[in-house]
Amino acid sequence: MKQRKGIWALVLMLLFSLALVGCNKSAGTDEKPADEGDTAGETSGGQLVFGRGGDSTSLDPAVTTEGEAFKVTKNIYETLIEFGDQDTEIHPGLATEWDTSEDGLTHTLKLREGVKFHDGTDFNAEAVVFNFERWKAGNAEQFYYYNSQFGDKIDSVTAVDEYTVEFKLNTPIAPFYKNLAMSPFGIASPAAIEEFGEDFFKNPVGTGPFKFKEWKENDYITIVKNEEYWQEGLPKLDEVIFRVIPENSTRLNELATGAVDLIDGVNFSDKATIDANPDLQIFERPSLNIGYLGLTSTRGPLKEKLVRQALNHAVNKQEIIDAFYAGAAEPAINPMPPVVAGYNPDVADYEYDPEKAKELLAEAGYPDGFEMELWAMPVPRPYMPEGQKVAEALQKMFEEVGVKAKIVTYEWATYLEKANAGEADTFLLGWTGDNGDADNFLYVLLDQDSIGSNNYSQYQNAEVHELLLKAQASSDQAEREELYKQAQVIIKDDAPWIPLVHSTPLLAGSAKISNFLAHPTGSDFLANVEIQQ
Amino acid sequence: MELSTNKEMQVPIEPAEEKAVSPWLEAWRSFRKNKLAVIGTFIVLFFVLLAIFAPYIAPEGINEQKLTTSDRLQAPSSEYWFGTDDFGRDVFSRVVYGSRISLWVGFLAVIGSIVIGCLLGIVAGYYGKWVDSVISRFFDILLAFPSILLAIAIVAVLGPSLRNALIAIAIINIPNFGRLIRSRVLSVKQEEFIMAAKAVGMKNSRILFHHVMPNSIAPIIVQGTLAIATAIIEAAALGFLGLGAEAPNPEWGKMLSDARAFLTQAPWTLFFPGLAIVLTVLGFNLMGDGLRDALDPRMKN
Repeated sequence: MKQRKGIWALVLMLLFSLALVGCNKSAGTDEKPADEGDTAGETSGGQLVFGRGGDSTSLDPAVTTEGEAFKVTKNIYETLIEFGDQDTEIHPGLATEWDTSEDGLTHTLKLREGVKFHDGTDFNAEAVVFNFERWKAGNAEQFYYYNSQFGDKIDSVTAVDEYTVEFKLNTPIAPFYKNLAMSPFGIASPAAIEEFGEDFFKNPVGTGPFKFKEWKENDYITIVKNEEYWQEGLPKLDEVIFRVIPENSTRLNELATGAVDLIDGVNFSDKATIDANPDLQIFERPSLNIGYLGLTSTRGPLKEKLVRQALNHAVNKQEIIDAFYAGAAEPAINPMPPVVAGYNPDVADYEYDPEKAKELLAEAGYPDGFEMELWAMPVPRPYMPEGQKVAEALQKMFEEVGVKAKIVTYEWATYLEKANAGEADTFLLGWTGDNGDADNFLYVLLDQDSIGSNNYSQYQNAEVHELLLKAQASSDQAEREELYKQAQVIIKDDAPWIPLVHSTPLLAGSAKISNFLAHPTGSDFLANVEIQQ
Repeated sequence: MELSTNKEMQVPIEPAEEKAVSPWLEAWRSFRKNKLAVIGTFIVLFFVLLAIFAPYIAPEGINEQKLTTSDRLQAPSSEYWFGTDDFGRDVFSRVVYGSRISLWVGFLAVIGSIVIGCLLGIVAGYYGKWVDSVISRFFDILLAFPSILLAIAIVAVLGPSLRNALIAIAIINIPNFGRLIRSRVLSVKQEEFIMAAKAVGMKNSRILFHHVMPNSIAPIIVQGTLAIATAIIEAAALGFLGLGAEAPNPEWGKMLSDARAFLTQAPWTLFFPGLAIVLTVLGFNLMGDGLRDALDPRMKN
């Protein structure tokens, strides 16, 4: 009898667990956001599903440095100054007029009236001051961009009257207004910052065309139309869902089946397929980036300038572009793209010449080459959609001149952390400009001050440092450009990188989308986008 | 006094000259009659020869990149029998050289797990008591994980490379052999000739390696052959996940993973390495099945 009971208990338990399994399944399907497409069809503006490679790290743009985060916050927050639709010229944003004093140390901005935050509080000078004081109070770890772009150079930010703000600097910052237009300086609601405190990063409140609705980590972020938006008739869409689909080909498949409407990170090799499909269209993001192979100048043979130059001679950039960018990229010569003011077109590239590379290696004392690590990024980035493949091609090119490279890769966060600490011999990486200023490339990527933040190759040159600081403080544009040109000559000779490409990143969308303009900085403003139902 | 412990077992290949037919020869005869097993053996032999003579068979090296459009992703032709991949490399050459890697990993991993598994299994089965408990629980722990998951975990700890993948595969196969031999030992231990050996005061090590082990070897051979097939698949799986062979090594699984973006565009980059995996695994499986039929005394008429 006792045994019987045991059996029954077992059977019951099995049944119960079966029931539980059933529950789990139905709950799982309920949560899928993309299936809601049908219901959205009835309303006017409709819903746009944006498929992208990675999730946001934070929805507070001030605390992050990562592009995926800005893609969302760009539509929730607004900045005092805005960039043009497809360039980095400055236009009125939350500020309508601005004025700089003779010495370049005082900036006065008139703010837009009648703008409200999503929580109903008013946008005014006090709110701007509050935001700047919040950033100023934090350290570089908390507010990286504030510290790198403004740092200690802003003495005070004061509200002159309800709609006028005055910035007092101790050193002129040449790209001051361009900096203000960068996504990290989106103005957030002071009331919300106080209310949410530590959790503000998942409860964003700004003035932008879309309001935050929901964030399911590593899955999707939903933002909905801000009915009270100050620009009449915008946004056109009712809802935007940012979905995370890590794999490039999967994302493209989802686009083809209609589960998503717009995707970024399109493989260059897929361009022909998309062009051939009448239901899809390609969007090109104007190029403002650089993909490079960093040569860590503190490690082994790479300490030698000659070795770094030799490696530069060993690489055939055009071949890489033809094979892995479907031609949609330009070979890079300098550490910044040619569209940026101050680009030096007179710098000649190290031409592809394996024999010369071998000679230089021999001269440097490595006639038989050497062994090193070549780090390949694990994730597709706009400037380098296929890091592993580019690494394999480079490996072969280095082998031709006798340098044996071992391809190494880590999970993305670890990769960045280790490369930042100078643990990689050579590493693939890149940069998409934030504001289109030369400072945002040269100073951020190669100044000795930036070691530990974005100067991954640990490059140091006192002369370059001096030039870059001088250019930063000068308000004479012609002089700045001259200084940057000089810096590029020295950097080219020191060869801390092998600059590889300036790519034209591709996006693809359903043919139903109109008015979408891809922005060179990588964060797209979606208020004007329309979708046919 | 001479001990009569299945002498033939110790010298297996020795052809039986007398009328008495050795069990090995008998097994060979029955194996030969099994057509599928013979086909399997031929497939295996084919790949072994391919691996040995790779440099003479393959028209190119493994990493001769030709990044020009006229050489990339070319369909199979008389120049490139299996087409070219996205680096313009000859897929045929890479598949041929890939057989070296796969067979090497398969054999070594299995030999590794046989050696360690047998040692542990014999010790557990022969000494029994707490030794048996400890070792058996260790096997249970290993078996509690899905094998590929455990392999991924081991590689993640050791760092991704072909050698570490090999070690991982060897480790996950240990309990299979360990349990098998333990159960054999448990039954062989009861036989009279072991009792006799003990009675004359033989050392444990001698009993184990000269009497117990040879009598337990047949199922190990069968299991080993089948395990090579699984090991090859596991190596390919790890390679596919980027945890096995490093670029530019033409490991079949890695070739598959590198080529999966070209599934529609250039299916041959996927098809041939896939076919190679299928054939080798099929070969080992057929051979293993045949061996089991031939060596299992219950199958004899």
